[in-house]
Amino acid sequence: MKTVHLELLLGRVVRDPEGKKAGRIFAVRAEPDGEDCVVTEYLLGTAAMMSRLGISAKRLLGWPIRRKPLSIPWDLLDLRDPKKPRLLCSLAELKGKKG
Amino acid sequence: MKKKLPDELELARDLLDKQVVDRDETKMGRVDGLVLELREGKPPRVDHLEMGSAVLARCIHPRVESWVDALRRRIGVQKTGRYRVPWAAVQEIVPYQVKLDVKAAETPAFAWEHWLRDHVIAHIPRGLKGKAN
Amino acid sequence: MSMKKAATLALGILTSVGGFFDVGAIATSAQAGAIFRYQLLWALALGTILVVFLVEMSGRFAAVTRQALPDAIRQQFGFTSWLVPFVVLTLIHFLTLGAEIGGICFALHLLTGLPVSLWALPVAALVWLFLWRSTFSAIENSTSLLGLITLAFVVAAWRYHPPMGQVLAGMLPTLPHHEPARYGYIAVGLLGAIISPYLFYFYSSGAVEDEWDESYVAVNRGVAVIGMGFGSIISVAAIVVAAMVLAPRGIQVDDYHQAALMLTQVFPFWGFALFAVSMGIACVGAAVELSLAMAYTSAQTFGWNWGENLDPREDARFCLTYTGAILAAALLILFGVDPLKLTLFSMAINALVLPFVALPFLLLMNDRKLLGKHANGWISNAITILTLVVAIVLAVVSIPLMFLGG
Repeated sequence: MKTVHLELLLGRVVRDPEGKKAGRIFAVRAEPDGEDCVVTEYLLGTAAMMSRLGISAKRLLGWPIRRKPLSIPWDLLDLRDPKKPRLLCSLAELKGKKG
Repeated sequence: MKKKLPDELELARDLLDKQVVDRDETKMGRVDGLVLELREGKPPRVDHLEMGSAVLARCIHPRVESWVDALRRRIGVQKTGRYRVPWAAVQEIVPYQVKLDVKAAETPAFAWEHWLRDHVIAHIPRGLKGKAN
Repeated sequence: MSMKKAATLALGILTSVGGFFDVGAIATSAQAGAIFRYQLLWALALGTILVVFLVEMSGRFAAVTRQALPDAIRQQFGFTSWLVPFVVLTLIHFLTLGAEIGGICFALHLLTGLPVSLWALPVAALVWLFLWRSTFSAIENSTSLLGLITLAFVVAAWRYHPPMGQVLAGMLPTLPHHEPARYGYIAVGLLGAIISPYLFYFYSSGAVEDEWDESYVAVNRGVAVIGMGFGSIISVAAIVVAAMVLAPRGIQVDDYHQAALMLTQVFPFWGFALFAVSMGIACVGAAVELSLAMAYTSAQTFGWNWGENLDPREDARFCLTYTGAILAAALLILFGVDPLKLTLFSMAINALVLPFVALPFLLLMNDRKLLGKHANGWISNAITILTLVVAIVLAVVSIPLMFLGG
C-alpha cells in the first residue's frame, strides 16, 4: 500500500510537467464517503497559507484578501514522490479550467 | 456508535495537532500525524491518524525518529512509539477536538501514563482530590 | 455579580503576587531604587500597562475559547513552529523557578540564620506537597490571602513620605546621570521581570481550571486591572522604599541581605522579618505558578490529561512534570548557585524569548474564527504590537548589556 504522510506533504512546492511552480500545498480538503474519508482537492498558495492560522497578515493590517487560493482536484496531483508533488496538467490548463 | 462528521473537512485545519479524546472525553493526546493511502484511479483516502513521540520526532528530522525508536526499544515501555488510529475509530470531529470510539486506558496512547501511575505515583502517598465539582 | 465571579479576583491577585511581584521584581526594584532612586519608575509604569492588557487578553481568550494559551498555540501553529520556542521557554522557566526557590530559601535563611542551600530540599518538598495535595481554588485562595502581607512595602513607602514630585517625575523616561550600562540592564531586568510568559500561560490555564466561560469576559477586565495593579503598587512601593532607605547610604544591593534592610527603618522591630516573610510568600506564589505553568505548557503541547483538580492518578504525566521541575530547580540552589545572580540572569534572558511569545499571541487574539466578536480591537492590538516592539528591543539590547552591566 502506497502511503503519504500529510504533515510531510504540507508546505511542499507543486510543479507542473514543464517545471513551472504552481505554489505550495497548504490545505487538503476531504469528505466522508461511506466508511472512508477521501480527498477532494488540494489548495495551493503562499499568502493563502496564512489561512491555516485563521487570519492573514494582510487582514491584520486591514487589507482585504484579493487572491483566491489555487485548487487542484485530487486526480490532477501525482503524489508518488511526496517530496515532489507533480501537477498532471500544465499550469495554464489548470487555471483555464477554473475559468 | 453513530458518527458525527462534518460534510467537508480540511485535513490540516480540522485534524492535525488537534486534541484527541476518548468516549469519556478523557484527553489522550494530539493528532501528531495523518497517513493517506494512494490508490489507482480513486481519490486518496485517510488511512489512519498517528499519535506518539516517534511521530513528533519525525517532524524534527527523520533521523531523530530512528533515535527515539532505538531509545524506546532499550527502555521497553511500550511496543511501538506510535499509536495508529484507523479512520474507522474516529467518531466525532468538532472544532479543535477529535473524539475516538475507544477507551483511552485500552490504547497504547496511555502506555506512559499508566506506567508512571503504577510505578511512580503508586509509591507516593496522596490524599484523594477527585474532581472538584 | 455572583460570589463565584467575585472570587475570580483571587486568581488575579495570586497571578500578580507570584507573577508580577516575585523575586525578580524584588531584586530589580531594590536595585533600581537603591542606585537610581525614582528614575526607573517609568519602566515599572510601562511594564504595568503592557501586562494589564496582556493579562486581560489571556483571560478573555481562555473565557471565550475555553482553552489555555499553550493549548491553542500547538493547535493553531503546529508542532514544528512551536518546538523551538517551547524548548527555550521551558529552559527559562526552569531557571526562573530556581531563582524563586532561591528566594524562598533566602527568606528562611533571614528568619533562621541557617544557610540558604540547606533549605533547598525542604522548600522543594513543601512547594511540591502544596501542589500535590491542593485543588486549584485552594492554591488560589491561600496564596492570594497570604500575599496581602506584601502590602507592608506600601505601608513603609507611605510612612517615609517620599518627595512626590520626584516620584511622579520618575514616571517619565529620563537618561541616567551615571552608569548608563547598569541603568539599561536594570531597566531590561525590570521589564523582563514584569512581562513574564509564565504569567500569561498560568493565568489562561487558571481561567480554564476555574471553568470560566464567555460571561467572565467583563469581570476578567476588572481582575486584570486590580490584580496586576496590586502587584504594580507593591513594586512601586519597593522602589520608593529602596530609594529612601538604601540610596542615601550608598547601598547598591549586591546581595539580598542588603535589600532586607529596606523595611527596618519604618518597622524597627519587625522590619527584617516582614521583608523575609513578604519575600518568602511572593516567591512561593511564583514557584507555584512557574511549576504549574511548566506542567500546563507541556501537558497542553502534547495533549496529556491535566488539571490541579484531578487526582494525580488521573494525570500522572502532568503531576510528574511539576514534580521533576521543582526537584531539578531546587538542585540548583542546593549546589550553591547564588540566588541573586540566578535571578538577574533569568530576568535578562526572559527578555530574549519575549518576541516569540508576543507574536503568536498577537495572531491568536485576532483570530475571528476562535474569538468571534471578542477578537482584539485596535487598542488591544496597538498594545500587543507595542509589546512586540518592546520585546524585540529588550531582546536585542539585553545581550550586550548582560556583559556590560551585569
